[in-house]
Amino acid sequence: MNTAAAQAGPRPIIEARAIGKRFGSFVALKDVSATFYEGQVTAIVGPSGSGKSTFLRTLNRLEAHDSGEIVIDGIVLNDNVKNLDAIRREVGMVFQSFNLFSHLSILRNLTLAPMRVRKMSRAAAEAKAMGLLERVGLSSQADKYPVQLSGGQQQRVAIARALAMDPKVLLFDEPTSALDPEMVNEVLAVMRELAHSGITMLVVTHEMGFAKEVADRLIFFDEGVILEDTTPTNFFANPDHARAQAFLSQVRHG
Amino acid sequence: MNWTRKNPGWTMFAAMIGLLVFLWGMAIPLSSMPAPVGPAAQQFADGARITVWLTLIAGSVGVVIGVLAGLGKVSKFWPLRAFCEAYVWLIRGTPLLLQILFVWLAAPEIMPEGIILSDFACAAIALSLNIGAYNTECVRAGILAVPHGQVEAAHALGLSPLQTFMAVVLPQSMRVALPALANNLASLVKDSSLAYAISVVELTMVGYRVQAQSYQPIPVFLTIGAIYLILTTAFTTLTAALEAKLDVGQKR
Repeated sequence: MNTAAAQAGPRPIIEARAIGKRFGSFVALKDVSATFYEGQVTAIVGPSGSGKSTFLRTLNRLEAHDSGEIVIDGIVLNDNVKNLDAIRREVGMVFQSFNLFSHLSILRNLTLAPMRVRKMSRAAAEAKAMGLLERVGLSSQADKYPVQLSGGQQQRVAIARALAMDPKVLLFDEPTSALDPEMVNEVLAVMRELAHSGITMLVVTHEMGFAKEVADRLIFFDEGVILEDTTPTNFFANPDHARAQAFLSQVRHG
Repeated sequence: MNWTRKNPGWTMFAAMIGLLVFLWGMAIPLSSMPAPVGPAAQQFADGARITVWLTLIAGSVGVVIGVLAGLGKVSKFWPLRAFCEAYVWLIRGTPLLLQILFVWLAAPEIMPEGIILSDFACAAIALSLNIGAYNTECVRAGILAVPHGQVEAAHALGLSPLQTFMAVVLPQSMRVALPALANNLASLVKDSSLAYAISVVELTMVGYRVQAQSYQPIPVFLTIGAIYLILTTAFTTLTAALEAKLDVGQKR
């Protein structure tokens, strides 16, 4: 909640320096630089097409950046497969469309990566998975398949699946945008609980209430650049840029 | 078919046992039939066994080829993609009979000295390559049907490309591809009859010989037809059960 103190003490875990990314002639990111610290919860907001999701996706190389440098927990993110494997073990991701493995039961969705990547035994992976399902309130659904769950339940499973790898950082790419309104809160409740547990979170979101209440820091993207990098309180009270003011008036009245 | 859906494991087991019992035991009831079928019962049984062997070998190899070439066709590496496309184009654009004759007549000239392929091996190779090409298209469609988001999720969880393919893409693509693969297998049971052209004594060849000796084509070919029907029924029951077994986590 107090950004100044959070930035003075803790260790930087993600350092992005002058990241550039283009899709054909469209420039998605223009020399974006930002440093994220351990334990910090950052909300990333902005109009659609502003580059906020692209930025998030470059952080675990679902999109390769064209220029600049990304360092995660001391490891440089590049074409080196060893580095990439190490980084993907540290960085979990939750997607807008959940992306659960539809041919696997809920329990198997959670145990797959710990067993294959971390070489955990089945018993240990299952015990851990059940603990995480308990945490997101879905332990009774362990033997069901994703299609049998509601959207909100699927997203909670997806969060538990990411947590099963013990990531240091969790990236959320519009985690509530594909949900029916009545299911948004159950997912936000899980994320709120996570934010208080001390894990580093980067959340691309349209949920301004959540950003205001939970985030330590707020980044406003527009046309591929970071326009504002401040606290939620500051951002909502008096945004510096006209674009941010326009955006806020849109989400408030829209 | 409802029972098949509910008990896929048992259905597969029953179909396999049924196929084995039929292959080993069919000479017994056939031998009690009147001439010309009765006296040739053992030939029919042997022919059916060759047909089933050809189907099983070419069917299995064909699935492996189909998966590899199907993967090749969606590869980002263009020479591999071009190679797989050329393979499918070549096989689908020429008659199976020509392919069988080509392997049989051309292989001895291409193969190094000392390696001699039997007629059966030539037929198995040609049939494998043929069904492999048709399987390639089915597998490719199956791979493309797996939502890309699941691949991204697997990568984000740290799974390697190979692990992602084996654990996430392949099982789901096979579920999509299976009905089409089963269709190809049913065709293969019958297409294996073309091996008669290179003197493999499979079921159709047996029928041709027996009717040539007895001058009674009608009972002989009816028997052959019945045996083919029983074989294709066993294979389609097997694949339908496999389909039901893989059909989990799907919207209905």
